[in-house]
Amino acid sequence: MASPVVAQRPAETPARPGRRRRPGIGRRDHLIGWLLIAPALVYFIIFLLYPALAALYYSFTEWDLHSAPIWVGLQNYTDLFFDDVKYPHFWKSIQVTLQYTLVAVPLTLVAALGQALLINAIRRGSNLFRLLLFLPVVTAEAAVGAIWRWLYDPQYGLVNAVLGLVGIPRQNWLNTPELVIPALAFIAAWQCGISMIIYLAGLKSIPESIREAAVIDGAGPVQRFFKVTVPMLRPTTFYLVVTGIIAALQVFGLVYVIFSGGGNRSVTGGPEQSGLAYVLHIYLYAFRYNAMGAACAMSFILLVFIMIITFVQFKFMKQEAS
Amino acid sequence: MNQKTVRRLPIYIALILLALVSVVPFVWMLATSFKNGPDVYTQVPQLLPLDKKTGEWNPTLGNYEYVFTISGLGTAFWNSVWITCVLVPLKLLIDALAAYAFARIPFPGRDKIFVLMLAGMMVPTITLLVPRLHVTQLLGVYDSPWGIILPNVASVLDIFLMRQFFRTLPVELEEAARIDGAGRMAIFWRVILPLSKPVLAVVTITSFIFHWNDLVWPLIVLNSPDLYTLPLALQQLASTESGRAYYIMAGAALAVIPVMVVLLIFQRRIMQGIAFSGLKS
Repeated sequence: MASPVVAQRPAETPARPGRRRRPGIGRRDHLIGWLLIAPALVYFIIFLLYPALAALYYSFTEWDLHSAPIWVGLQNYTDLFFDDVKYPHFWKSIQVTLQYTLVAVPLTLVAALGQALLINAIRRGSNLFRLLLFLPVVTAEAAVGAIWRWLYDPQYGLVNAVLGLVGIPRQNWLNTPELVIPALAFIAAWQCGISMIIYLAGLKSIPESIREAAVIDGAGPVQRFFKVTVPMLRPTTFYLVVTGIIAALQVFGLVYVIFSGGGNRSVTGGPEQSGLAYVLHIYLYAFRYNAMGAACAMSFILLVFIMIITFVQFKFMKQEAS
Repeated sequence: MNQKTVRRLPIYIALILLALVSVVPFVWMLATSFKNGPDVYTQVPQLLPLDKKTGEWNPTLGNYEYVFTISGLGTAFWNSVWITCVLVPLKLLIDALAAYAFARIPFPGRDKIFVLMLAGMMVPTITLLVPRLHVTQLLGVYDSPWGIILPNVASVLDIFLMRQFFRTLPVELEEAARIDGAGRMAIFWRVILPLSKPVLAVVTITSFIFHWNDLVWPLIVLNSPDLYTLPLALQQLASTESGRAYYIMAGAALAVIPVMVVLLIFQRRIMQGIAFSGLKS
């Protein structure tokens, strides 16, 4: 994300010689500059930089937040990977999260692209449809979880009632291990509005001349879609895939709400841990079992994973640009 | 003309179906929230609040009354209102000041700091939660509204967006103001900010929506039920009253409706903002 910023830097240098002639303004300007970024910088150090470094340190300790952390070296990491008595659901949570990502990201993008293409094809009412399809995005995840729990209700839920119209038998969506991931992925696709808007912007930026050229060359709508639209949208799709993966790996609030129930602050991670997302697993260890060290180790594994994905994205973008 | 309409008919039908999928969950939420308890659980789904036995018109506001007073969602609603109303302007000010310096005031080390901040955006929230909780305890703001406000009071992404916008403003305007004797701060308030309404609006609205909806941080930093924000209180309601969909849907409606109103009013700006920030980053 940083590269375009650095590249734009020379923009203000031409103005500098003129300013230099006025005595004192340079140093006073430095001071004002520091003062203006001071609040943000203090925030950054206290709530971002220090926590990130502290989390790395705690990941090498055993810590319950109240007593002093005890240094244990790499033990948290080795235990997470190899001790399935101490952390019985660690690998399961990775599996659940990867499955969810693999289903939810493509489903969301297909839904978003489909909606964008349809909206792009009409004039009258396009703003209204765009608004209606965007509504799920701005909804609080606590509300999304609550609403969908009710929609997926095995006995009185609307989902089963609608599927019943086309002859699909009732399912206990959130209580059948095999159905949990599809049910969650459908909610993710229901909330695809942001990707839809970005695809719409991408579609609008395809020059009309290219489309016309394809028409003149005798390309039909299907051919135009695969030979013009899809390749032209490739940067957009790439961006959405990467950000979608990063977001899906961190899914938490929704599963937390969906699988909390039957008592005060009790969370299970769904039937047979089928909805035990990786971040939910971290949350449970940190704030339920007070195993802060192990939780920090898990969150650092996630951080490394996300950094690798971001790095790959950079490489690809550079390749694309050159 | 007529042929064109016919050709577009399947597109409209598809869009209407998709829009229904999008909207029906909210309609169903509202429908359930106005029903009396026994009328909610019918074998055939019933949109209107009709009495289960007699089929007569039988709506109620009782669910809202119950969650607002007895479940504490009323308190939570006002907590959310005032916390967002303090947090969002404060955050906007801190971010705008920093963004202006990053965009226009050159000083040694500035760009290194900026790149470091951007790199910090990569760190997933979950990694920060435990140390942040510890920091709020050390600062003495754990389990208080300030425990929500302080850890959210600036945003690197917003600084980035504003900086990008400030850089597009013509430098000549500032130079002219400077010749007229205006200092940096006067230029910021009287020249930069008035010209930056579009980006300020986008950042304000998205911040409002984000903090109004945020569940995770309040879940971690709040302990006392009378300090709960609305999403947290709703999550608790959904957990403790899990058998009573009518209460939960009334609670969900309380959380959803204010944001929907904001979306309806500012939809154009929000859509532009997403297209802008999405494509930029």
